Amino acid sequence: MSTRVDAAARPEQPRRPDHPDRRAPGASRHRPPADGLAGLRASIGFMVRRNRVRLGVWFLVVVGLFAYIARYFGDVFTTQESLDDFAAISDNPGIKALTGLAAAPDTLGGAVWTKIWMTCAVALALGIVFLVTRNGRADEELGRTELLRSRMLGNHARAVAAWTVLATLSLAIGLAVAVASIALGLDPDDAGTTGSWVLGASLAGVGLVALGVGALVGQLASTSRGANALGSIVVVGFYVLRMIGDLGDGALTWASPFGWGQEMAPWGANRWWPFGLMVLLTAVLLAAAWLIEERRDHGAGLLPDRAGRSDAPARYASPLGLALRLQRGPLIGWSIAIVLSAMLFGSVAEEMTDLLDDAGDSMAAILQGAGIDELLGLLAGMIALLTAVFAVQSATQLRADEASGIVEAQLAGALSRTRWALMRLVIPAVGSLVLLAVGGALLGLGYGATIDDSSQTMRLMGAALAYWPAVTVVAGLAVALFGYLPRLAIALSWGAVGALWMVMVIGDALNLPDWALAVLPFSATPTLPAESMDWTPLVVMTIVGVGLAWAGIARFARRDVALS
Amino acid sequence: MTAEMAVEIQGLHKSFGRVHALRGLDLAAPVGQVTGFLGPNGSGKTTTIRVLLGLLRSDAGTASLLGGDPWTDAVRLHRDLAYVPGDVTLWPNLTGGETIDILCRLSGPLEPERKRTMLERFDLDPTKKARAYSKGNRQKVALVAALASRAPLLLLDEPTSGLDPIMEAAFQESIREVKAEGRSVLLSSHIFTEVETLADRVVIIREGETVESGTLADLRHLTRTQVTTVLDSGADALAALPGVHDLSTEDGHTSFAVDDDALPAVLAEVARLKPRSLVASPPSLEDLFLRHYDDELAAVHHGGAR
Repeated sequence: MSTRVDAAARPEQPRRPDHPDRRAPGASRHRPPADGLAGLRASIGFMVRRNRVRLGVWFLVVVGLFAYIARYFGDVFTTQESLDDFAAISDNPGIKALTGLAAAPDTLGGAVWTKIWMTCAVALALGIVFLVTRNGRADEELGRTELLRSRMLGNHARAVAAWTVLATLSLAIGLAVAVASIALGLDPDDAGTTGSWVLGASLAGVGLVALGVGALVGQLASTSRGANALGSIVVVGFYVLRMIGDLGDGALTWASPFGWGQEMAPWGANRWWPFGLMVLLTAVLLAAAWLIEERRDHGAGLLPDRAGRSDAPARYASPLGLALRLQRGPLIGWSIAIVLSAMLFGSVAEEMTDLLDDAGDSMAAILQGAGIDELLGLLAGMIALLTAVFAVQSATQLRADEASGIVEAQLAGALSRTRWALMRLVIPAVGSLVLLAVGGALLGLGYGATIDDSSQTMRLMGAALAYWPAVTVVAGLAVALFGYLPRLAIALSWGAVGALWMVMVIGDALNLPDWALAVLPFSATPTLPAESMDWTPLVVMTIVGVGLAWAGIARFARRDVALS
Repeated sequence: MTAEMAVEIQGLHKSFGRVHALRGLDLAAPVGQVTGFLGPNGSGKTTTIRVLLGLLRSDAGTASLLGGDPWTDAVRLHRDLAYVPGDVTLWPNLTGGETIDILCRLSGPLEPERKRTMLERFDLDPTKKARAYSKGNRQKVALVAALASRAPLLLLDEPTSGLDPIMEAAFQESIREVKAEGRSVLLSSHIFTEVETLADRVVIIREGETVESGTLADLRHLTRTQVTTVLDSGADALAALPGVHDLSTEDGHTSFAVDDDALPAVLAEVARLKPRSLVASPPSLEDLFLRHYDDELAAVHHGGAR
């Protein structure tokens, strides 16, 4: 029998609502799918198989970093006097801003904490966020999860598998750090091992909170890029809250999970309850993620896609015009990030001035000049580091576009590879110049306003711009890697950024020879305004950076286009 | 719910923001049959299948899959279901063989023998990493994973869009085997010959609504048979007969369309005129399909004429 389908011709069926937005009776009631966790064990196995290298790398990076510093400090600080000296040197605004100060800075464990805890915590937090995205939103966005979900896989199984594995990773890292701390003798002789366990728990707690953050942003954003960006912003936001709190009266420190970990105060107060706070926050974040996942459509975020325009302006035909459009989101995001950081840093410098003014005596007045200038130099360096992240992200887009195959469509047109790459590189080159200038100027403006000195704007703009050659070297390296090692380019480029960050934070403890520090772009840059200007490294670095980029482009013009 | 229906959908609605993807779609796929699911790009085929997979929640209407609710009972129902997406994305660092095993094990025991048979039939190298596969080979991975199972229902979303003609033949052979075993298939496609060859029933949708459904024979009854004949004289008289449409004569060949119920009378009249040759062809699935898209076709021709 054949049916001409027509609603009116089917009287036996219940009348369905004519308006699509009105739900059928009963449909508005929430009906959770049954067996949401089916296939959890298989998912955990799959998750471990697919991420075995990454899980191992993050474990080794965090635990290895901690153990290395603990061992190195154990060798260096053999007397109580040396620990007291280190504590006195560390008690300055720069260290407080960058890493926070240990609760018991004059113990070996405290010294190690000051040096490396914050670095380990931030690295772990970012790593966990990226791993959650990779195994959640990224697979969903690409349609891989759909294939799995067509089998007997509950709608929460993959997420909960990721949570289980990554929570285990966090706890394992905390445990390993505690064991390393005990083994390397960080606990004072008469204090037992409580400090080491509190320390391990504080790192594990940060990892758990990051897991909650990653899980939630993966439900809110509909793309993996969006999820990673949102997650990174939250982590950096936590870091900045803690930074301002540590420089001020400490209230804002308590607004940040990094602050909670810090306030567990290993070898000091040895508090356990902030760990409970972190576990609680994790539970809340995971519960929210669960509830959203239960209600939303597969592949959807919170916002539906809007309709776009039907025609493209002529400028999109040029690689630069198209790249500007495609990188519009990141460009706006980075501009906002730099502007906010610079304004924040400016206000931080202001608070420090007040603090030193209160000290009042002549010694503080003498210290003030040098101390503040060093802090300002450090803040300019942080703006430069953020800018370098932007430049590398933009430069690695060359490889990302090649790997995804998008570049083929452009190169199939009347466009040489050299021209394509050069035009694309205008964005990181000019963009970083603008970001440094704006960031430095705002920093100077904020600080200058408090000491009533408008010359600070130009002075600190110069300090930030001095980092442009260093940023160029890093971006140039990314382009060279793109030319010569396309498949490894993105991973190695970010590895280089991570290494620079590490050198900046813990440089001296790595015990690098002077020549190595001299060739590393950020350490080679004079720290204006604390140091005096030196043009030689800047000229050399500019030449090296441009040379690297040129070599990479020349190589790309000759080699095969390699898809992922 | 009748047990004879593997899939039954009535009045299904689904919106994404302002886009109204499904507007009261109806679909029935009987057990043990191959149901062809036809519609142009963007007409809602994939959305329908995703609702059936429990990946999307319908806004209104009812959908049942093997007698269960595709949203709340998704996991239980998926034991008896195999799915091939139209656009297959795989994990780049896993091999095709590994991917097939992961997929199969998620729905029950893996049968290595069946997997090997299908790998041979589709000429797929399971040791290659997924990043090295072409589009067609990625599709084969999903096909092998689906066909290696004994699932009672197969949901196939344009499963052959990337396959070459030899693989298309292998696919058709596999679907015939599935049917011979009494299993059900919902086959979304816009390859008419494939659906014509394999399908028992056809559902045609347009802009999220069902415009035609039934067996191929039933649908053909609703339309006209195309007749071409060579007559010495009297062709003009045929035009006046009831049920004859669009008569034209060119180089002695007279062509016209006949309503199904008028066919016996018209053929009797043609026979009286002593035709030298006669070809009568039932409408192809393509004709049936395009009948519902006259206006869009006109737009295509209009666009081409500019």
